Amino acid sequence: MTAMLEVRNLEKIYTKSRFDRTPTFRLTADFTVEKPGIVGMMGPNGSGKTTLFELITGSNAPTSGEVAVSGRNIHKVRTDQRDRLAIHYHQSYQVRHFRSWKPNVMMEPAGSDYPMLHLFDEPQFNTQDGYIGFMLDFFRRLREEGRLVFLCVHPNERFHLEIVEEICESFVFVNKGSVTSLPDYASLLAHEPARAYLGDLLTECAA
Amino acid sequence: MALFVAENLRKRFGARVVLENISLSIEEGSVHGIMGPNGAGKTTCFHVLTGHHRPDGGRITFDGRDITGKKPHQIARLGVSRSFQIMNLFDDTVVIENVILALKQFRRNGMNLLRDVFSDTKLIDQAIDVLDQVGLAHRAWEKAAELPYGERRALEIAVALAPEPRIVFLDEPTSGLGTEATRALAVLIRKLRARYTIVLIEHDMRFLFDLADRISVIHWGQVIDENTPDELQSNKWVARSALGEVA
Repeated sequence: MTAMLEVRNLEKIYTKSRFDRTPTFRLTADFTVEKPGIVGMMGPNGSGKTTLFELITGSNAPTSGEVAVSGRNIHKVRTDQRDRLAIHYHQSYQVRHFRSWKPNVMMEPAGSDYPMLHLFDEPQFNTQDGYIGFMLDFFRRLREEGRLVFLCVHPNERFHLEIVEEICESFVFVNKGSVTSLPDYASLLAHEPARAYLGDLLTECAA
Repeated sequence: MALFVAENLRKRFGARVVLENISLSIEEGSVHGIMGPNGAGKTTCFHVLTGHHRPDGGRITFDGRDITGKKPHQIARLGVSRSFQIMNLFDDTVVIENVILALKQFRRNGMNLLRDVFSDTKLIDQAIDVLDQVGLAHRAWEKAAELPYGERRALEIAVALAPEPRIVFLDEPTSGLGTEATRALAVLIRKLRARYTIVLIEHDMRFLFDLADRISVIHWGQVIDENTPDELQSNKWVARSALGEVA
């Protein structure tokens, strides 16, 4: 069976400028998600989460490596159809724009009407309005419909951890440009950089 | 039977997907609520359902007829009416004239009647009947601009009812209303439900949970949940929120 998402030897290097090629940031990732499901993504600010999302949805081109969504190399799909395979729900309207030099007619059609991969970038979780419940039901429905959900959360309140514990089956932790995939909530809590990142929230949970 | 059905509607503005996948089924004689956070696509959804925007994909049927891609006036003529988030009234005229201009009979006769609308007792009677439905008959001859805000909203609903629609779409009818006016509006909608199928886009969740038979929750341009208010409120996260205290 084709994996839902394959990130193979992916690397993105940002340099100081076009002339000064001194690297300023380097992101590497290599992981696979076989089946439909809900994956939690966490990591400190500036660790490369958004860049990883952009590389997975094909809005940003990798320096090397490949991303296959449902077996399709996303960077070979027409730019105007990439969101039919993998869609990035941005946290705000500030969407970074990238250029692609290859004309769309030379690229492949998406071959899908409704995205296979849904990336939610820090959705607004607010205990007051009740939307959390509807959002979580929606993530579950996407999974049942054979979709892969990525949920990027920046936990700063205890209930944020409750949410990820309830809904996420596995995790991806991004730290200083390196991506670690973790099979469940327990292994997230055992992962040292994740412990450092979550800090006080963990002691509050234990209390 | 469902009176109004939307299937897999999609709408894009340039690179931005505004409606990803909207499906709705609205039963005849029901009050159907649409709620969602800011920027979820509620108003665009209304525009698409009433023909003000053409969807890029999907299908809309009204009373079994495919109305996808039809113009707003064609859809309106079939019996679909709507209000707008921003009030659309003729302020310089009297209340009743706002209603007369929207009457089917008036529209059929064309604009040449404009000179003597007030001498046509049939039109006046019809308009008074519509105003009576929203409790404004006693204000018929006052200037529209002089009505208090809550009554202006009622007048706007009267304008939507004037063409004798079968289904009325109301876009955020409580916006700008105080507690008292909101309560009065709830009473009005409860009264109208016997006669019309009503679709409400609302921000005020208490209002919606109190009135709607079913609610579609829209977020990210999609229907993320759809159920009766009771079922929606039984969700454990909803029960934990301010909404859980509504019932």
